[in-house]
Amino acid sequence: MIPLSNFMMLSAALFVIGLYAVLVKRNVIQLLIGIEFMINAALINFVAAGKSDKNYMGGQMTALFTIVIAAASVAVALAIILNVYKYYKSIDPDKLNKLRD
Amino acid sequence: MEQHDIIPVVSLLAVLMPLLSFVLCMFFVPKSISGKVAVSSIAVSFIASCFVFFKIWNAGNIHIQHHWFTLGQTSWDVGLLLNNLSALMILLVSGIAFLVHIYSLAYMKGDENIDRYWGYLSLFCSSMLGLVIADNLLLIYIFWELVGFSSYLLIGFWRTRDAAVQANKKAFIMNRLGDLGFLLALMILYSQFGTLDIEKLFGDGGLFHLSQFTSGEWIAPLGHISYVWLLVCGFGFVFGALAKSAQFPLHTWLPDAMEGPTAVSSLIHAATMVAAGVFLLVRVSPIFDSTVLITIAVIGIFTAFMASTIALVQNDIKRILAYSTISQLGFMMLAIGIGNNGAAIFHLATHAFFKCLLFLCAGSVIHEMHYAKNKLDADCDHQDIRNMGGLRKMMPLTFVTMVIAALALCGIPLTSGYLSKDAILISSFEWATTRSFAAKLIPYLAMLTSWLTTFYIARLIFKVFYGELRIQGDKTERLIHEAPRFMLMPQLFLAVCSAFFLFSVNPLSYENTWLLKVFPGSVALERIHSYHTVIPALLNLFAVLIIYFAYIQYARKEKAMFRENTWLYNFALNGWYFDEFYHQAIVRPVTYVSKFSFSIDRKVIDGLVDIVGKSGVLLSSIAGWLDRKLIDGFVNLAGRAAAGLGNFFRSFQSGRIQYYLAVMIFVVLTFFVLRYFSPAI
Amino acid sequence: MNLLSILTFLPLIAGIIILVAPSGWQKQFKYITLAVTLVQIAISGYIYFHFDNSLRGVDLINSYQFKEQISWIRLDLGSMGKLQIDYFLGIDGLSVPFLLLTSIIMMVATISSWEIKTNLKGYFALFLLLDTAIIGVFCALDFFLFYIFYELMLLPLYFLIGMWGGVRREYAAIKFFLYTLAGSVFMLLIMVGLYFSVTDPETGNHTFNMVHMMNPANYSGDSIFGSLAQQTLLGIPARLLGFIILFIAFAIKVPIVPLHTWLPDAHVEAPTPVSIILAGILLKVGGYGILRICYGIFPDAAIHTSWWLGLIGVVSIVYGALNALAQKDLKRLIAYSSVSHMGFVLLGTASLTAEGAAGSVMQMISHGFLSAMLFFLVGIVYNRVHDREIANFRGLANIMPQYTAFVMIAFFASLGLPGFSAFIAEAFSLIGAFNSETVNGAIPRWMAIAGSVGILLSAAYFLWTLQRMFFGQTRLMGGEEWRTKLNDLTMREKLALAPLALLALILGVFPSLAFDKINGSVLELIHHVTGK
Repeated sequence: MIPLSNFMMLSAALFVIGLYAVLVKRNVIQLLIGIEFMINAALINFVAAGKSDKNYMGGQMTALFTIVIAAASVAVALAIILNVYKYYKSIDPDKLNKLRD
Repeated sequence: MEQHDIIPVVSLLAVLMPLLSFVLCMFFVPKSISGKVAVSSIAVSFIASCFVFFKIWNAGNIHIQHHWFTLGQTSWDVGLLLNNLSALMILLVSGIAFLVHIYSLAYMKGDENIDRYWGYLSLFCSSMLGLVIADNLLLIYIFWELVGFSSYLLIGFWRTRDAAVQANKKAFIMNRLGDLGFLLALMILYSQFGTLDIEKLFGDGGLFHLSQFTSGEWIAPLGHISYVWLLVCGFGFVFGALAKSAQFPLHTWLPDAMEGPTAVSSLIHAATMVAAGVFLLVRVSPIFDSTVLITIAVIGIFTAFMASTIALVQNDIKRILAYSTISQLGFMMLAIGIGNNGAAIFHLATHAFFKCLLFLCAGSVIHEMHYAKNKLDADCDHQDIRNMGGLRKMMPLTFVTMVIAALALCGIPLTSGYLSKDAILISSFEWATTRSFAAKLIPYLAMLTSWLTTFYIARLIFKVFYGELRIQGDKTERLIHEAPRFMLMPQLFLAVCSAFFLFSVNPLSYENTWLLKVFPGSVALERIHSYHTVIPALLNLFAVLIIYFAYIQYARKEKAMFRENTWLYNFALNGWYFDEFYHQAIVRPVTYVSKFSFSIDRKVIDGLVDIVGKSGVLLSSIAGWLDRKLIDGFVNLAGRAAAGLGNFFRSFQSGRIQYYLAVMIFVVLTFFVLRYFSPAI
Repeated sequence: MNLLSILTFLPLIAGIIILVAPSGWQKQFKYITLAVTLVQIAISGYIYFHFDNSLRGVDLINSYQFKEQISWIRLDLGSMGKLQIDYFLGIDGLSVPFLLLTSIIMMVATISSWEIKTNLKGYFALFLLLDTAIIGVFCALDFFLFYIFYELMLLPLYFLIGMWGGVRREYAAIKFFLYTLAGSVFMLLIMVGLYFSVTDPETGNHTFNMVHMMNPANYSGDSIFGSLAQQTLLGIPARLLGFIILFIAFAIKVPIVPLHTWLPDAHVEAPTPVSIILAGILLKVGGYGILRICYGIFPDAAIHTSWWLGLIGVVSIVYGALNALAQKDLKRLIAYSSVSHMGFVLLGTASLTAEGAAGSVMQMISHGFLSAMLFFLVGIVYNRVHDREIANFRGLANIMPQYTAFVMIAFFASLGLPGFSAFIAEAFSLIGAFNSETVNGAIPRWMAIAGSVGILLSAAYFLWTLQRMFFGQTRLMGGEEWRTKLNDLTMREKLALAPLALLALILGVFPSLAFDKINGSVLELIHHVTGK
C-alpha cells in the first residue's frame, strides 16, 4: 500500500506551492490560484486521511464540501477582484493598500 | 575794663579788621571804594598792633583761650598768645602791610579787578596776623594754610596770564608738600603730649621740657616712643618751614611767584609770608636737637649760597630780588641752626624793611618802564634790567631809597642790615670755633655769600640807574617820571627804617640792639673779641671794593660781566636746573603713575568686574544651552522615541495583503515549531 | 505721631500722590517734591537741635532718642519659635547728623532736578521713594527693617540712572545694581544667622533687634554667632566671617578699592541730581553701616581686622587720588576724588580712637555737602554745552566769574583748606590714625603718614583742573557757539550752591555744631569696641 505520509507530503508540497503563490505573486488572480492550490492540498489531505474512515466516509464527504466551498469562495473573490479592479485599475496586490494606516 | 583784658581784644581787632575788609570788598562794596575800605581796615589794624606792642614788649605774656570743640576726651581751644615774639611780629606785619596798601593805591590804580585785589590782600593780612598771635600749633597750621591760600590767590591775580596761573599752582602744591611735614610733626606732638598749646608745651615748666630722653626712647606723659620720632618731629617742622620760606629743596616756587603784582611780592614774598617759616621754627625751637639744628644750618647756608649765585646772572629785576630773598632767608635759617634765634628774628625784621623797600622801588621802576613802553609801543620786557639805564636822573627819589635799601642788603655800616647781618656772621664764627672742620666752612661760606650779595645788588643798581636808557625811542627820557606820591611815601618811610637808628643807638655794634636783648634763645656763645672787629672790617672792606668794581663794570663800561654761553653761566641762569629736575623726577613720574593706576583700574579691576559680569552672562547662556539641548532634548528624545517606536509598529500596517498573510503564516509556524521543541506551550 | 516716622514716610506719601495725580499736574511735581524736602529739613532740623547730647546710644538701648517701637510681625512658627520683627526706629549721635544731611542734600537734588524734562511723574515718584528709603536706613534699629530699606534704595536708583542717564546708562545702572545687590545678598545670610543666635531678653524670642545683637549676653550658648561657642564656618571663626561679609556689603557702598569700579560709571552716567544723591548720601550709608552694624555687632572681629581696614583706607586714599589725577572727564575726576575722600572715613574708623572715629563721621558729613556741590557744579557746564572734557575748556573764569568763584570754594574746601569742614575732618582722621598706635595699637603710624599724602595729591588734581579749565585765556572747543551758551549762574543754581558752601564754611569754623552731637556716641562706640 502507499503509505499515508506520501499523500501528506504531496499535499504539503501543493500547500507550500500555493502559499508561495499567495505570498509572492503580483497578480491577484494568481493569488486566487494559490488559494485554490492550498485548498486542494488540504483536500488531498482529507481524502488521504479518509482512507481510515470506512464507516462514515468522512474524508470523502469533507472533500466534497471543500470543493463546493472553494468554488464559492473563488466566485466571491473574483467578484471582489472585479470591483477592486474597477476602482484601482490594477490587480497588483501591492497597489491595493488603502487599508493601510 | 582792666588793661589786661583790653589787650587781647585789641589784638583780636587787629586780626579781624582785615577779615571784615575781605568780606566787604569781595561781596558787598563797589569797586570804587574797595580801596578805601581796605586801607582803613589795615590802618586800624596797625594802630591796634602798635598798642599791643607797646603794652606787651618786655611786660609779660598774655594768654587767653576759648573753647572751640570737644573731641573724645580732649578739649580743643582757640586762643591768643601774646609774648615778645608775637608783639614784634604783629607790629612788623601790620606796619609793612599798611605801607604796601598805600603803595597799592597808586600801583594798582585802574586795574579792573581791583575789588578782588583788595579782598585778597585783606585776607592775607588777616591770616598772617592770626598766624603770629595764635596760641596753639593747630591754629598756626590753619593760618599757615590760609596764608598759602591767599598767596595762591594773589600770585594768580592776573588770571588770564598763563605764567601766573602755573606759578600759583606750583606755589600752593609745594607749600602743601611742606605742610605734610608740619602735619606729621603736629601728630607726633599730639600723640606724645595730648595737647598742641605752645605755652603748655614749651613755656616754663612746659610738658616738652619734662619729657625725658633715655636709652633711645622719648618718654612723655602719654607714651614713649623711639627717639627717632623726635628727629622726625623736628624735621617735620623744618620741612614745613622750608616750603614756606622757600629754602632748598622747596624754593623753586618763589621766583615764579614774581608773576603777581609787585606790591604783593613786596608784602608776601619778601617781608611777611616767607618769614612765617622762620617764625614757626623760633616758636618750636626747643624741639630741635643737635642733628636737626645742624641740618637747618647747612640747608640755610647752602640755600643762601646757591640763591646768590643764581641772582648774579638774572636779568629780570624781580627775579634778582626773589633770589635775594631766598638767600637772605637762608641766613636766617643759618642763625636758627647755630642756636641764635634772636639774630634770626633781628634779621627777619631788618630784612622785612629793606627787602620790601627794594621791591617797592623795583615796582616804581617797572611801573614807569611799563608806561613808557606802552607810550612807545615798544616790544620789550619792561622788567628786564638790560632795557633800563640812567634812571637816576628821572627818578631821583626812587634811586636814593633803593640805594639805601641796597646798602642795607650789603650790610654796609650805618644801616640796620649791617647790624643784623653781623649778628649772624659773627655768631656763626663763634659757633664754629668749637666744632669740626666741616662746620668751620660754614661761616666762610657765609662771608662769600655776603660778597656775592653785594655784587649782585650793585649790579642791579648800576644797570638800572646808571648809564643810558636802553629802550629805543624819541625823547624816551621825558616819558619816565618819578613815581606817584602814594608810591613814594612808603618808600621814604621804609628807607628811614632801614637805617640803624631804629634798632640800635650804636651803629657799629649789634649787641646793643633792643630787639636782641629780649630773646633768650641764643646758646651762650663765647664772645671772641677779635671776631667782633676783624670780621666786620674785612667784610665791609671787600664789599666796598666789590661795589666799586661793579660800578666800573656796569656803570662805566656797560659790558656784560659774564660770558653768556658758558656752562656755568647757564647753570646759574636756569636756577641750577632745579625746575627741570623736579619736573623730570617728580612731576613726570607722578603723572605716569597716575595714568598707569587708571589703566589698572580700567583694565584690571574693572576688567575683573566685567569678567565677572561676562562670566555671569556666559554661565547663563551655557545654562540656556543645557536647558535647550540637554534637558529639553531628553524630553524631545522621549517624544521622538515614542514616535519612532510608533512608526515602526505602524509600518506593519502597510495595507499589503500578502504581507499580512506572510506574517500570519510565520506566527503560526513559529507556534508549531516551538510546540515541537517544548511541549509545554 | 513719632517724628522719625513722619520724616521717613512723608516722601512716600507724596510719591503716591504724584503717582495718582492727573498728568495735567506735570509742572507741579517738582514743587511738591521741593515742599516735601523743605518740610523734611524743618523736621530734621528740629530733631537735631532738640537732640540730647548726653545720651550716648550705640549699645545702650535706652539712650536712643525719638524712639518708636511697634511690634510688627509676630508669627508663630511652631518648632522654630516665634518670628519677631519690630518696627523699631531710633537715633543716636551717629545717625542724627545724617538725617539733616540727607534732608539738605535731597533739597539740593530737587533744585537740580529742574533740568529733567521727560517722564516727570515717574522721576519724582522714584525720587521720593528713594528719599524714604534713605531716611529709613538711617533710622532703623531692627535689622530686618534696615535690610528692607537698604534694598529699597536700589530699585529707584536703578531706574533713575537707567532711564534718565547719559550715554552708557544701562550698563552703569545694571553694574551698580548687581554689584550692590551681590554684597547685600550675603548680608541677608548673616542677618538670618544673627537672628537665630540672639534672643530678646524681654520676650525670649529670636529677634532682629540690632541693639540686642550688640550685647553679647543675648547670644545663646551654642548659637552660630555666640562668642562662647566659637563656632567656625568653612574653617574661619563664625564671628569673623560674619564681620567680613557684612563689611564687604557696606564696603562696596563706601566704596573701597578694589570694590569701587561701579562708582565712576554710575556717577558719570547718572543725571546730575542722581549723582548728587549718590555721592552725597549713598556713600555715607556704607560708612554708617560699618560703624553701626559691623562695629556694633562684631566688635571683637573689628579689633582683629583693624590693620586690614586701615590698609584698605590708605590704599583707597592714595589710589583714588592717583586715578583722579589721570582723568580727562571732569565728572569722572570728581567721582574718583570721592573714592579718595571716603578712604579717610575708613582710616579714621579703623584707628579705633575718638579723634579718628569722630573725624570719619565729620568727613562723611563734610563730604556729603562738598561732593553734592561739586557734582552740581559739573552739571552746570554739562547742561549748557553737553561736554565735560577738561581739555575742551580754558579760561572759563573770564566768561563765568561767579561760577568760577563757587568752583574755587568747592575745590579748595574739598582739598582740605582750613576754614572749611573737610580740613577738620581729614586732620582729625589722620591725627586719630597716628595716635592709634599709642592708644590701642590698632593701626601702625605709617598708615597715617601714607594717608596724608592724599591731601597733597588732592591739591594737585584740583589745582591742575582749576588752572587748565578756569584760568588763562578763554579758548573753548565749541568756539563761539559755546561762548554764547555758557551763561553765568542762574538764581536757581545759586540758591542750591550757596547753602552748601555756607554749611561747609560754618562747619569748618564751628565744628562743635557737629562734634557736640557726635562725640558722646563716638566715645560710647569706642568703649563698646575696645573697652577703653
